[in-house]
This record gives sequence, C-alpha cells and structure tokens, in this order.
Amino acid sequence: MATGFILDPTAKRADDITSPGPDAGSLAGKRVGFRLDRMWRAWDWISEGWAEKFRAAGADVVFWRSGGRSGDEGERHAADYEAFLNSIDIAVVGLANCGSCTGWTVRDAIQAANHGLPTTAIATKNFEVFAHEIAARGGRSGLRVHVLPYPLNEQRREDVELIGEAHFEGVLETMGANLNATAEAAE
Amino acid sequence: MTIELIRPGAHRAAPVIKPLVSRDCGPEGCEVDWLTSRRIETDLDIDAFNRFALEQGWGDGLPLIPPTDARVRTFLSENDRYPDELIGTMPDSSECTVEKIVINAVMAGAPPESLELLIAMIASIADPDFELYGVNATTAPVYPAFVVNGPVRHDLAIPYGYGCLGGVPGASAAIGRTIRLLMRNVAGQTTGGTSQTTFGSPGRIAGVVTGEWEEKSPWSPLAERRGVAGSAVTSFGTMGTMNVIDTTSHSARDFLEMIGRSYAYAGCNNFSGAVPFGEALIAINPICAEIVGREIPRIEDVQELVWKYASLGEGDFNKEHRDQLALQERIRADGRVYATPEPKDVLLFVAGGLGGLHAACFHTFGTSLAQTKPVASAQAAQAQAAE
Repeated sequence: MATGFILDPTAKRADDITSPGPDAGSLAGKRVGFRLDRMWRAWDWISEGWAEKFRAAGADVVFWRSGGRSGDEGERHAADYEAFLNSIDIAVVGLANCGSCTGWTVRDAIQAANHGLPTTAIATKNFEVFAHEIAARGGRSGLRVHVLPYPLNEQRREDVELIGEAHFEGVLETMGANLNATAEAAE
Repeated sequence: MTIELIRPGAHRAAPVIKPLVSRDCGPEGCEVDWLTSRRIETDLDIDAFNRFALEQGWGDGLPLIPPTDARVRTFLSENDRYPDELIGTMPDSSECTVEKIVINAVMAGAPPESLELLIAMIASIADPDFELYGVNATTAPVYPAFVVNGPVRHDLAIPYGYGCLGGVPGASAAIGRTIRLLMRNVAGQTTGGTSQTTFGSPGRIAGVVTGEWEEKSPWSPLAERRGVAGSAVTSFGTMGTMNVIDTTSHSARDFLEMIGRSYAYAGCNNFSGAVPFGEALIAINPICAEIVGREIPRIEDVQELVWKYASLGEGDFNKEHRDQLALQERIRADGRVYATPEPKDVLLFVAGGLGGLHAACFHTFGTSLAQTKPVASAQAAQAQAAE
C-alpha cells in the first residue's frame, strides 16, 4: 500500500448558528409576515387560514410574494424583501415543496432569522431533511422548520384547508408563539 | 537511410515546478506553502483512492486522479495564478479559489492549459444572475452548458463541428467534468442531498462544453454580440439538449419556423407557470446558418422570427396551467405565451457538423440567466500575476 497526502477538493463554510432564534411569543399587537411564492396554491390557502387565526389573536398580518431572482427583477426582489423584513415582527416563510423552492425558502428564512426576527420556515415532508441540510449549509442549522404533509399541492382546496387547520397548533409550537394576549405580560 | 529519431516535443518537456516566492521575508525572497487545503493521508493506489473518494462524496463514479501535492503544484506551475485568488462565491458562501479549481481539475483529468477557461466558467456560474442556488437545489435536471468563443477554442481543441455537444475525444469532457466536480465539492451539490433532481441527466457528468464555429457563421460570435470580443465563454443553465431535424425546408424562414415551433412545447420550463421568465439557447448548423444568413443578414431579424414561432396559444394549456400563466402575466394580448420575454432573449450560435439537417435546442431552467465572461490569455494572466 503506497500512502501519501492528497489535497481536500471541498470547501464549506465553517460557521453555524445552532440556536432557533427568538420565540414569537404572544401574537397580540405584532405584525406577522407571510412569505408566499408563485408556485404553490396550497401554501396560499393554508397561509390565508392561519392569517385569519392570527388576526383573531390580535396580530396584524401581511403577505409578500417571492418572484424572479435574477436580472433587474432580482434586484427589485431583493430590495422589496429587505423592506418587507424591516416592516414585520415575525416571519413565516414558505413553501419548501420542491428542490429550488426549498432552497429559496430556506435562504429567505435565514435572511429573516439573521435580521433577528422570530422565523419559521414551512416545508412539506418530502423536503424536510433537505430543508435542514441547506439551513446548516447556510450557517443556521437551528432554523425552525414546520413540516406539512406531502403531497400537498395536488390536493383539493377543502382538503388542504383541513390540513392547515390540523397543523395550526403545531405551527404555533414551532414558532414559539401563543394566542394569549396576556401570556407575556404575566411572565 | 536516415533513421527518424524519436524526440519529445518541446511542449512535452517535463514541467518544472515553479516555487511560489514571497518577499515578506526579505529581498531574497523565500518559498512558502501557498496551498491551504487540508492534507489528507490516504492510499494512493488508483482503486483504493477511488473507493476512498466515493466514500468522501467527492466523485461522480468515474475514475479520479489523486490530487497529490505534486500534481496540484505542477498544474499551478504551468500557469500564472496565485492559488488563494478568489474566483467566485458559490451557494452558502463557500469560496471557489484557484486552488480548489486546480485540485478538482487534477481529479477530473483536465489539462493545465485549461485553467483560464475553467476560471472564466466558474466566474460565469458564480455570477448571482446565473442563480446557481436554484440550479443546484432544483428537482429539475438542469446543468450548465458552455459555449466557447475566440482563439481559446483552437488552443484547447474545443469541438465546434461534428459531435460538438458530446463524444469528441479531447479536453472538453474533462473540462466540463471539472465544473461538475466543483459544483459538487465547492458549491455543495449532492444528489438526493442538496440537489433534489428527480431524474438527473447524462449532462451532469461532464456537462456540455462546445465551441461556436465562428468561421462558418454569417453573424458575429455569440460572446461578441453579448459584449465580450475574443476568447470568452457563455454559460447557460439547460435542461438538456433537444434535437430538431429538418430534411424538408428550403428557405430561411421555413428552417426558422421549424426550429421555433419545435422549441415550443407545453411541458418545458420556458412555458411553466411557475417560471416568471427564461431565455432560450439554440445551435444552428453551419449549412442552415449559411442559407439563413444569405436571406436574413441581421441576427436580430433571425432572433425575432424564431421568437415568434417559439410560442404557444393559451388554448394549448389546460385551465389550471392557463390560470397560473395568467397570474405570472405571461399570456400576451395576442393570446399567446412566448418562450422568452423578448426576441433578444433567444440566444443563437452556429455549431455542428457539415452534414447539416439538425438544430440543437437548449431549454431554460428558469430565471438562471446566461452569463458571458472573458477568458484571459496566458500572457494577460502572467502580467496580472506580476503586478
């Protein structure tokens, strides 16, 4: 056996934030921002349902839709997203439901988390591991990821809405959020 | 009788490893170790090394050459670049330096003289508008295809005639493979891990590295039309290659209509309701190009004709797709959806064998935009290093 030294062909960032970031806490009086996309109608339907419940808990809810990532549109997109992040208190970012859109969802979620916002990325089951892996590659292995069933977008609206309903408690838990206006004051 | 003696050509003389000298230790200078990559001790037997490389996730399944210190230094010594020079920042902020390019080039079997082309290729896909982040991660089979222009085609024997998209012996396969290894080892694209590609593609092994047959083109070279004259490379995120045969047409307009209509099919990403915009890349063979050039001398007019035909009526889509295309504002007033936003986004180049008859279409992944970068000559790089 002739052993010798070779040079490592890989390069990977070394830094990592393992913390999930701050809890969302009580939603009352806070502005929750949903990041949507142009691909998944199921995510539109689920976020509408969750937004209604957030509003009922006293939150203000806004939506921002992701678009093209390159050229002039990409520049505008980046500036718009930055302004969106500056205008909200809590970020809910979806939907990681394909390869590239999981990449973009996690990338946008990391940007929100790096702003110091309580941030939760939303993924479907098939892309859960992938979402965690690229969050780690992006330097935030602790990123909060709430997982919805897969396949999702292929289902009828009424079924998707039932899934959203069933996952509401779960997403609150992942966000570290509560609907009790007085909970934080009491702590 | 004169016996021909076998003499090695001057270019085959064994390269002398040039020391990299720093003057930090005084005017005499001293040799320093510029290579910063981690050294790993392993069995250098070719079979054992390849098993090890696969276990490490470095390879594509084809044999790799162990990137020993000596091989990497030899490759570098035939060029004039410092190994710590940063060429591009890849997804997740990983840094692609000259050193990483050389290590992967050694593993892929690329020749040292290809370094400047490799650097330009990496610079092109690391450009934010190439959108490598999406290209790496997607369920699509996308990979970068490269069109090479200028004298560097001849220097490296990049094929632009028969079989130019794959299968021609020479350096282009190893050059393309180097880029694919860098996408894996530096940009972090691992299938089933950070790449969710459903099917993958044969092009994900060695990519496409083709030249343009500029000497047979009635138009200026692709890179020059995009603002870079001379040696240059244009990258395009493609879903693969699609052949178009036309044994029947006679006129330029008929050829271009056939190419345009063939390019447009409902299931390609250019017509996906999930894609806000994308470009098109098409190779026209030299015989067809000559006919087209005679009848339609301006490339802009050729692009406009192809663009017009590379479109579908809204009725070609079912309701759900139509609704999503409408949401993207992709359905025009004439009721048609076009493959690209404007005629200028149809990128044409001339390549292929003299048998003619075929065109090659490359469909977009999506918002990954083609990038053209100059390829430095060895002299220019030398001058830069001397500064």
